[in-house]
Amino acid sequence: MSTYVALLDGGAREQAIQVTRQGPGIYEVRIGDQVHLVDAFQHDYGTLSLIVDTQSTTAMLDQRGARVHVRVRGSVFPVEILDERRLRMRRAATRFTVRGKQTVTSPMPGRVAKVLVRLGDQVKEGQGLVVVEAMKMENEMRSPRDGKVVELHVQEGQAVEGNAKLCAIE
Amino acid sequence: METALAPVPEAMPKPIRKVLVANRGEIAVRVIRTCREMGLPAVAIYSDADRGALHVRQADEAVHVGPAPARDSYLSIDRVLDAAKKTGADAIHPGYGFLSEKAEFARAVERAGITFIGPRPESMEAMGVKTTARANMAAAGVPTVPGSPAPIAAEAEARAFAARLGWPVMIKAAAGGGGKGMKRCDRAEDFSALWQSARREAGGAFGDDRLYLEKFLERPRHVEIQVFCDEQGNAIHLGERECSVQRRQQKVIEESPSCILDEDLRRAMGEVAVKAARAVGYRGAGTVELLVDAGRRFYFLEMNTRLQVEHPVTEMLTGLDLVRMQLEVARGEPILRQEEVQRRGHAIEARVYAEDPARGFMPSPGKITYLRVPGGPGVRDDSGVYTGWTVPSFYDPMISKLVAWAPTRPQAIARLLRALGEYTVHGITTNVPFLAAALDHPAFRSGDYDTGFCAAYAKELVRPPDPRYEQVALIAAAISAFKKDHDEAEAYAARAGMAAAARSAWARLGRARALRGGGR
Repeated sequence: MSTYVALLDGGAREQAIQVTRQGPGIYEVRIGDQVHLVDAFQHDYGTLSLIVDTQSTTAMLDQRGARVHVRVRGSVFPVEILDERRLRMRRAATRFTVRGKQTVTSPMPGRVAKVLVRLGDQVKEGQGLVVVEAMKMENEMRSPRDGKVVELHVQEGQAVEGNAKLCAIE
Repeated sequence: METALAPVPEAMPKPIRKVLVANRGEIAVRVIRTCREMGLPAVAIYSDADRGALHVRQADEAVHVGPAPARDSYLSIDRVLDAAKKTGADAIHPGYGFLSEKAEFARAVERAGITFIGPRPESMEAMGVKTTARANMAAAGVPTVPGSPAPIAAEAEARAFAARLGWPVMIKAAAGGGGKGMKRCDRAEDFSALWQSARREAGGAFGDDRLYLEKFLERPRHVEIQVFCDEQGNAIHLGERECSVQRRQQKVIEESPSCILDEDLRRAMGEVAVKAARAVGYRGAGTVELLVDAGRRFYFLEMNTRLQVEHPVTEMLTGLDLVRMQLEVARGEPILRQEEVQRRGHAIEARVYAEDPARGFMPSPGKITYLRVPGGPGVRDDSGVYTGWTVPSFYDPMISKLVAWAPTRPQAIARLLRALGEYTVHGITTNVPFLAAALDHPAFRSGDYDTGFCAAYAKELVRPPDPRYEQVALIAAAISAFKKDHDEAEAYAARAGMAAAARSAWARLGRARALRGGGR
């Protein structure tokens, strides 16, 4: 038997799930106060056919780094699945996180079309900081919080990679 | 039929033996498919970013035309012409975007003795600069939206003109198209930022940053008429496409028939569209875009002198192949007659974009780790991608167009929703759930929607997942994790076993050498 914890809504909610293998492709799954007998058949990449009791469901699993996006009948659930060991490590790690400086990065490769702030400017949450042009469209990067521009890494016309630091707000 | 063999003035038969497709992505694939059906060899062009693109693989020949940025490859007239000469292509299909509406390109193609599959350069010029087009249309008696008669250079002057026109106004690129360099401005305070942003976008997208202003109509619907003209002087229309579902001034869902048109309005708009095309001596496939206001008055917006992204809607409705018709017109053949055009049922197209609607429709380029596309009755998927393809960040984020046809509108909606449910793209974020939410929205279902649809219902269109499916999703994720852990454990055990065997083999060899004596 293995116990997993699913983190939902970006970690705001948790759900424990116990999985026990009963035979080839047959699992007993305990979730909350319910127990299901699940017949799971792995199709091609990322496709899992489930017969839960008698309900037939296709789940499409799209692995995105630490998370997996599970799609069932048009609904997408971004989930992080942790086993007990990883959950303990995670809990230990979060004690050391500090609040403070927020770094704004470019979500994709592109070109800096416009820098809207200067180093030291006071900005409000949601205020535009840098305009990145990618795929022929302009995308305004906005401030995640109220604060001061403490770092500015780019200038107008500069090419940037995906995830490149643009500026930081504190 | 009786005139089929009669000699017609200026209709010179121009055989086409090989077609170069001066484009990329889904439209290049679309054009190559028809070439294949017509038995015509097709030549693809590609940039550094596109060596692995689907259109390159599907073509009979392919020529590299330069680095990834479009201005050095797909927008380079010299390089595209060199590719045609190198492969002996005697016709060029420009697709949409890129060079498709550049009169300079059409002229260069014809100067090189190659057939341009599109309108005459003069028609493109008459329609290409939007302000000139508006003036031409007004002269031809076609109603136009109130706005500035010419591009405005100075921001202050533009702001004053906007105030006279009355807010809201649309800031538009004179060389525009595809929503690039187009901004809606609601108040004087926002004008400066929007004007400058539009100017930069227009300069980047078209190499021409001239802007003009138009009054923003109340609850406008964007309805366009597909027209077709041949060398013999025949001009017909193939009915309308309703394109009011737009985000960031770009179309997302298109359908035909439009819910606000009846036969009389359709005929009236069709006649105006044909008149507009005739006024500029049009040839081939073109689209006359019109705005229809709340009082069902319609105004000329612009004419797109090329094949549209959403042409499959008309193809599904009429059963015609518009690319084949373009090639036939380019060969000097006549088009069908207006009364031969038959429209049946209802067709809806949804554009699948690599973008994240939850983050302001931010493009989401990247590697497609898995792709499965829908099938079944009445469904068409015009795609330019495949499993393993990396959507480059240099070009438009559209990866496919999914079209459904059915006898009635409710059936077509149900069918497209069903097909979207089958559409699976992994590795990148797409707007598939957004498209489903839009089709499923009561305002769309009722047919009572306008170009403000996406903005008005923005919150409802980015739907949270249905809680009824959460449990089964978690079961799937947990079983998948369980399988992976156990497979990894087994693989590790297997490797460990092999390592032990290998070690003992070396030990055996060492012992054997020691026994022989003198071994190192």
